Amino acid sequence: MEKLFFTPLMIMVFTIAAYAHTPLMACFDEGDGTVTCEGGFSDGSSASGVEFLVKQGDKVVLQSRLNEFSEINFEKPEGDYQAVFNAGEGHVVTINGKDIF
Amino acid sequence: MKLIISVLTLSLLFASSALAHFQLLYTPESALERGQTIELRHVFTHPFEDEHTMDMGKQHDTKKLSAVEEFFVVHRGEKTDLRKSLKQISFKGNKNAGVGFASQYAARRMGDHLFVIQPAPYFEASEDGYIQQITKMVVNVAGLPTDWNSTLGLKAEILPLTPPYAIWTGSTFTGVVMSEGQPVPFAEIEIEYLNHDIDLAANAMGPARVEAPQDSFVTLSLIADANGTFTFGLPKAGWWGFAALGVGPDDEFKGKELSQDAVIWVQVRDMK
Repeated sequence: MEKLFFTPLMIMVFTIAAYAHTPLMACFDEGDGTVTCEGGFSDGSSASGVEFLVKQGDKVVLQSRLNEFSEINFEKPEGDYQAVFNAGEGHVVTINGKDIF
Repeated sequence: MKLIISVLTLSLLFASSALAHFQLLYTPESALERGQTIELRHVFTHPFEDEHTMDMGKQHDTKKLSAVEEFFVVHRGEKTDLRKSLKQISFKGNKNAGVGFASQYAARRMGDHLFVIQPAPYFEASEDGYIQQITKMVVNVAGLPTDWNSTLGLKAEILPLTPPYAIWTGSTFTGVVMSEGQPVPFAEIEIEYLNHDIDLAANAMGPARVEAPQDSFVTLSLIADANGTFTFGLPKAGWWGFAALGVGPDDEFKGKELSQDAVIWVQVRDMK
């Protein structure tokens, strides 16, 4: 019974923690035709495993997840694009490709 | 008797005034929206009054200036030696020029970049002693907190309990004075406002922004509590320096008295 009670309580705690901070992302052009994006949260917690998208308009050209270092490296698309850090509803950060240099 | 008291009083005043040296580790912006290469300046000065710019590494027994002992950055727990990036400059204060250093650093990655400079002890002739200020400054990229609160176990160190790059005008900064990883009870701390813009291209101090109503307001002071902790309210935007005096274990250099101090710089922003 103790375990049954404890588990929902822990889920509640972690749920609150996950929404109590701000998602962050920064990207830079590696100068070799690729771009690196790093993600995180304002409390310093890891963004490892968070969904990452590269979009051109409504088209998703890359769907992946941030690695164990909370980062991803991808080939820079031709033309306009957006890098999207998607940590769930209300926790999305989008950076336009023209702002990545 | 009056003469003795006057001499003693004057000595105390000069001693207090002479102690208000600050090792500056300056960059224009400590909270960066994105990674970029930043300019750094390393100057031994009096940040409020700018009455004299010292030659970093000055010795009593030779005209040769001693090299900076340590200059490194810690990012995500990894320490990188930056001594080779230091270029000697002549930094022009409002009263004189002194030998300092310029450097550049690629603050590219997200998170905190915690800089530490440990200059060689500086010979202060008016005190017939040496001063060594082990100085910290933190630059953050894109808001991710990583290293600002790290204890580095330095001989003299101020551990911030407030992110030094995220302080609104009118709020406070809290830190702990430490020596080799241990808090220093009742440490004496001096505080000065960097009262001048710094012209990076000219390596020069600009004119004073504010005027102190009286000498007590030039170098402010407080005493840390029994746990080495202190809090100070910050009334104006800009850079503020905190120096904990003589808290390091080394108290002698080349046969003369040494004050091994801990310095940290914090940057304050107006709410606009």
